[in-house]
Amino acid sequence: MSPAIETAGLRKSFGEHVAIEGLDLTVERGDVFGLLGPNGAGKTTTIRMLTTLLAPDSGTARVCGFDVSAQPSEVRRRIGYVMQRVAYRGLLTGRECVEIEAALYHLPRREIPLLAKAALDAVGMLPHADRRWTTYSGGMQKRLDLACGLLHSPEVLVLDEPSLGLDVQSRHNVWEFVGDRRLGGATILLATNYLDEADRLCNKVAIIDNGRVVVQGSPSELKRAVGADVVEVATREPERLRQVIETERWVKKIVAGDMGDLHIFVEDAAVALPAVMRIGLEHGIGLERVSYSQPSLDDVFLLHTGRELREAGVAS
Amino acid sequence: MTIEQLDARKSARADSADSAGGARRRYAQEVLALARRWWIELLRERLNLVFSLAQPAIWLVFFGAGVERAIDTEVIGTDDYIGFMLAGIVTFTIVGNGVSGAMPLLWDKETGYLDRLMSMPIARSSVIVSRFVFQVVQQSAQILLVVSVALVLGVRIATGPLGLLVILLTAALLTMSVTAAFSALAYAVPQHGTFFAVAGFVSLPLLFMSNAFVPLGAMPAWMEVVARLNPLTYAIEAMRTLVLDGWEPRVAASLAVLALAGVVCLALGTWQFRKQTGERVRG
Repeated sequence: MSPAIETAGLRKSFGEHVAIEGLDLTVERGDVFGLLGPNGAGKTTTIRMLTTLLAPDSGTARVCGFDVSAQPSEVRRRIGYVMQRVAYRGLLTGRECVEIEAALYHLPRREIPLLAKAALDAVGMLPHADRRWTTYSGGMQKRLDLACGLLHSPEVLVLDEPSLGLDVQSRHNVWEFVGDRRLGGATILLATNYLDEADRLCNKVAIIDNGRVVVQGSPSELKRAVGADVVEVATREPERLRQVIETERWVKKIVAGDMGDLHIFVEDAAVALPAVMRIGLEHGIGLERVSYSQPSLDDVFLLHTGRELREAGVAS
Repeated sequence: MTIEQLDARKSARADSADSAGGARRRYAQEVLALARRWWIELLRERLNLVFSLAQPAIWLVFFGAGVERAIDTEVIGTDDYIGFMLAGIVTFTIVGNGVSGAMPLLWDKETGYLDRLMSMPIARSSVIVSRFVFQVVQQSAQILLVVSVALVLGVRIATGPLGLLVILLTAALLTMSVTAAFSALAYAVPQHGTFFAVAGFVSLPLLFMSNAFVPLGAMPAWMEVVARLNPLTYAIEAMRTLVLDGWEPRVAASLAVLALAGVVCLALGTWQFRKQTGERVRG
């Protein structure tokens, strides 16, 4: 069977600005694939090309084996797309929204009431089905969109920043939703700039920055590649500290974080931690805080781009 | 039914989707589903519903009561001023509906729901066609109401009930042009402010450059040329003939011109729509 999504040399520019520059991605069936990157990295542009909303300048993109430019209707039939922005649905009730979209997917007329009910139930919206959309909270509106993306049992579900701007409870609802689909073997492409979200939900992640894939793999692979551990040191004199420990054998790489702190990638934090403190004392460099963590996807991003994900997002 | 059962039905549905003759049924299904959306919105906006239904009738009464006295019956060629104006009022209503009817399309475009629609396996033309179907039903109700008022005011339709049906048909044909043209405009403009600027600029001249208020024969020559290029003129001519004169061959000729204009505008609208939805920049 063809991969769920396969792109090769995909490129898209808007005037002078190159949004996507030679993107190569492969999403296998059953993957929950995270497209991770700061705002402006090209996640939404990629998704708009994969959902046939935007024509690529060059390169190819196939969804379930169908080319997005040459066979868009075959692609549309196989995808469920939940946009980043909540879809505006005016004066309709939740049930009406879902039933109308079910008809737009050409589901058999007689089955639509039952299918709509099942989809609403899957996102916990059945009790609110007959209220008007305008009375829903942001989280409920998002859940309704998720229900609509699910209606026709798509082969690939595309979620663009599904938990953006939601409260904690609603984020958990979204995560539960993705978790349930994943157990059911669904293929999901999930764009996000939340690292914890990608880490928690995805079995594969591609980190993209400036329209290119920086690195891809499973979250644990990527984190392993970072090195064993990350020691974070907060100090008033980061540059001096960097100079004096740079040459130590156990240091793999040092990157400055966005608050003037240092992220020291090391083999083993148990060895590095006392050594950092000892060296600080010897050279009279005051250390305000020393901590260590298992590498996170943030460290992966930092290692490959030299910037922190949060900082990159704000800068764009 | 659970989601697992839904999945089990997927393959069965895919089979039926590929069967011959299914394409037309699918098209009808999506047009009706979209039109249902417009209907629900209209019925829940009671004030909008009342005003839009009553507006043409109120226009007719105001015109009938006031302007009639100032009109030279020699120029318009009939004593029945209200009968003369009826076609103009109906056409005026169609243009107004065309402008307000494009608003939900603008709204969908600006809120992003259009992207959701475009990611679905629906024909690109079905959005515009659903709008057309909806408008025809809505304005048929408006026309029946304004004609009833005209009957009360003493107008008699020369061609009788069958003529009334042809009037509705004429209105529907003009609606095709108007809806498609304003939809195309809605999709072509960068944002809604531009739409209203252009639509406001266009709609009144469109009426004045037709025979809505003045018969073609009474116009200066240059204006008559312009009016002859205006689809509104043919709709008004057909409807006015049906009301005042009876079954004349020029009714059929006007309908043919209207049908042609409708096809051209629909092609234009669909082309704009494809263009705007095929290559839109960012979201």
